[in-house]
Amino acid sequence: MREDDHLDLELHRRVADGDRAAFEELYRRYSAAAYGLALRVTGQDSLAQEVVHDAFLALWRAPEAYDPARGPFRTFFLSLVHHRAVDTVRREERLRKRAERVANLEPRLGEDVAEEVVDGAYLVVRRKEVHEALETLPPDQRKVVEMAYFGGYTQTRIAAELGIPVGTVKTRTLAAMHKLRRALDREDRW
Amino acid sequence: MVSPDHDRIEELLAGYVLLGLTGEDAEEADLLLSEHVPSCALCREALSGFQSVAGELGLAAPPAAPPDLLLPRIRRELEQPAVRRHRGVSFVAVAASVALLVGLAGLSFSLGNRVSKAEAQRGTLLEAVSAMQQSGTNPVALENQGSASGGLAEISAPNIQHMYIFGQEVAPPAPGHAYQLWLGSNGTFVPAGEMFTPEDGRVVLELTFDPSPYDSILITEEAAGATPSTPSSSLRWSASLVPAA
Repeated sequence: MREDDHLDLELHRRVADGDRAAFEELYRRYSAAAYGLALRVTGQDSLAQEVVHDAFLALWRAPEAYDPARGPFRTFFLSLVHHRAVDTVRREERLRKRAERVANLEPRLGEDVAEEVVDGAYLVVRRKEVHEALETLPPDQRKVVEMAYFGGYTQTRIAAELGIPVGTVKTRTLAAMHKLRRALDREDRW
Repeated sequence: MVSPDHDRIEELLAGYVLLGLTGEDAEEADLLLSEHVPSCALCREALSGFQSVAGELGLAAPPAAPPDLLLPRIRRELEQPAVRRHRGVSFVAVAASVALLVGLAGLSFSLGNRVSKAEAQRGTLLEAVSAMQQSGTNPVALENQGSASGGLAEISAPNIQHMYIFGQEVAPPAPGHAYQLWLGSNGTFVPAGEMFTPEDGRVVLELTFDPSPYDSILITEEAAGATPSTPSSSLRWSASLVPAA
């Protein structure tokens, strides 16, 4: 476990005891990652703000939802943000322009510049490892993972969008998840 | 006995953690997660690994500083009455009681034991039914005030300071809007909990607070994302609260 993971654990423990300062420290550490993820998934500032707002309130109100035995705090919290973001996208989809979402699947130019500014040092390192892990995927596998994760698409929808059988989407997804798991496990033993 | 097809299960678990399953696949995954996975070390390990990947994938999105006003807004909401904080109680009790909106509890479940949201909802409803059987519990029907359809019922149990609100066939709010619950005292109202929208027409809320200062509750329709300090004129449901004995 890395030093930052230990710190997260300690902060989480204090949050569970009702420590507002610890809560705000976790906000400082993860709000940029959470907001960036929510923005990437929802594509709208207002929706991303709601997602992050709700996720942090959920953390405050139900800190026991995180079980340290299951892994680092960051994976729990980013999963929480991701779930809420996808739920929001699906709820709001009818209100959104499809073109905005498709465009949002591609990273925007210049965003890496902000990374050093708003992320903690450890997250910068881990973020790089995640990008490198994604780079190891064949393009067709990476595509289905990104459409599901950042686009909030169901496997059925991905199949329709790409014009391939659902079974192929499933196969590619599983292969990609295995590769990502191996790549990320190598870098971060919990 | 037919041995489980672990390749097929892993395929479902991979799709599950990416929130990509629908229809029969989703139903099959829910069944596996409640019946097979908990007792299968291989599947638990696969699920845990995939969940970890799903969490880490969040870092593939470029970070972005949230608006400066977000933290002050969160701070304000931390002060609201409908906040419940408990430790050291059993998981089942926590899952059914910590969240204002059961969808949140469902998510907590899904991140933990991967129990479906439907099961979390059932857990909260069972807790509500249990509360109804206790002395001092007061079921109250919320009166529909406007165009919104569907029935909402409120059950409060003063001694344990829980309030459950649930409804079915509840119409969604207008696009861009959400429902907000308010607690009233002598005509002054404070917002309680997060805004909510029905999921498949169902609403299951649980709140924990001292009900004695309040004499009424309202549910209004508000612009989603707003932080209203007073109820809008779009009143949808209301009820009087029976004062605690």
